[in-house]
Amino acid sequence: MTTLRMLAIGTLLHAKHLSRSPFEVAMALIVPLVQATLAVHLFRSGDGSHRLIEAAVGAGLMGIWASVLTGSGGAIQNQRWQGTLEMIMLAPRRPVTVILPITAATAVTGMYALLATLAWGRIVYGIRIELAHPAAFLAAAVACVLGLGMFGLLLASTFVLLRNANALANPLDYPIWLLSGMLVPITVLPSWTLPVAAVLPTTWGARALREATVGGPVWPSIGICLAIGAVCLVVGGYCLTVFERRARVTATLALS
Amino acid sequence: MNPVRLVTTGGALAYRALFNWTTPAMYAGTLLAGPAFQLIFFAYLGRQLQVADDRFFIVGNAVLAASTACVFGGTLAVGNERRYGTLGHVLLSPRSRTAIFAGRVLPYAGNGLLIAAFTLTVGTAALGLRIPLAALPGIVLALATGSLACAFFGLTLGAVGLRFRDVWVVSNVAASLLLLLTGVNVPRSGLPPWMATVGEFLPITHAAEAARTLAAGRGFGAAAPALGAELLVGTGYALLAVLLLKIFEAESRRRASLETL
Repeated sequence: MTTLRMLAIGTLLHAKHLSRSPFEVAMALIVPLVQATLAVHLFRSGDGSHRLIEAAVGAGLMGIWASVLTGSGGAIQNQRWQGTLEMIMLAPRRPVTVILPITAATAVTGMYALLATLAWGRIVYGIRIELAHPAAFLAAAVACVLGLGMFGLLLASTFVLLRNANALANPLDYPIWLLSGMLVPITVLPSWTLPVAAVLPTTWGARALREATVGGPVWPSIGICLAIGAVCLVVGGYCLTVFERRARVTATLALS
Repeated sequence: MNPVRLVTTGGALAYRALFNWTTPAMYAGTLLAGPAFQLIFFAYLGRQLQVADDRFFIVGNAVLAASTACVFGGTLAVGNERRYGTLGHVLLSPRSRTAIFAGRVLPYAGNGLLIAAFTLTVGTAALGLRIPLAALPGIVLALATGSLACAFFGLTLGAVGLRFRDVWVVSNVAASLLLLLTGVNVPRSGLPPWMATVGEFLPITHAAEAARTLAAGRGFGAAAPALGAELLVGTGYALLAVLLLKIFEAESRRRASLETL
């Protein structure tokens, strides 16, 4: 089985698995719409009423990140709870190839959030979906899914060592939304946050989507998002191997 | 066990046993850092969109910070009994269910107050908001009232969990809706009338209004009507929780679905 085929089948398997959970489905369906509604009313209340499509796109991206973060936090823990962590770690493949599909599946299912918030904005609030670069928007959305999936792997790899990975994952929604400029332009943030924002794939993914929506050089942002994502993949894969070995040595792999 | 001991000791024991987030990492990450980051996010968003001043977002989100502990706590207070297989034992007890479950709400409300106070402190320090010293007792009262109302709201959701299997969906959606409908982040004048009306019947809405009034230095008299409204909402949810617990308990016994997960 080629690595690519394994990743694709693994992603499909985990996406199907997620779709069997009433909790995951309900949360994926409802929460992005609540966030989109909140964003639209906030933009309308302030001086952003002419930027409602940015609110809808930003809320959708927030939904993708929330999905990836929850998935990454639970990627290892859920396998522990299901009693399948040892089995997937015993597979004759690198750990990265069995964990990456889990985080990629959360990013793929998170794509619904982007589609849903755009549809919600169009149907409920009459927002005209006029994209400056429609083809580039599609490419940016795919880049976001890939970039965020690989970033999720890096997070998941650090969670191998932690029993309460959710404790780290739970508060990370808002900082990443803020630092990545999903709704708030990063230029209004304190200057010390800018270097942090610059190394996040989410920042460049959000920028690519915004530029595809309102106009701007989309492709460099897509390229940087994917490049940082690739770095996350390499570092995450290395960490996953090291941490997995360490967890085996200390016999803590399955402890939850 | 006398009723006071049943409420206090029973509540404390149930809190330790059923609240999943009492480990230091989970507590700090989920209940302290999360709400503080939420406050900062909305304060910057509000600044950028010029929706309202910092006070609006800092005070509003500090009041809302109690909701995570209270909504999910109330849900866990009932839901985890079922998950751990002890719900039947609790319901077989010859003591008043009202006293048992009312006792459970108190630690969550106290916890909510602590989290709200922490979030307010972090928000004011990070964003440089000055609150008049004279307003602090009133603000603490507003935070406490909001936390208590929210805890009873959480208990109501926990009661709903006796009827619906996946109570986490209900509590997560409810927590999201509090963010939208209580006017904590979007001024209620900017919400459609039906959303503003729904918000009137939710916890946090009036407590946030009262806390903002006090933080603006307008005195306790100006905030008293909103505080009274929050107490009324809290009392309403307390009564609703007791009623639903009775109905769903009877229904669960009749359908033999008490411990069905």
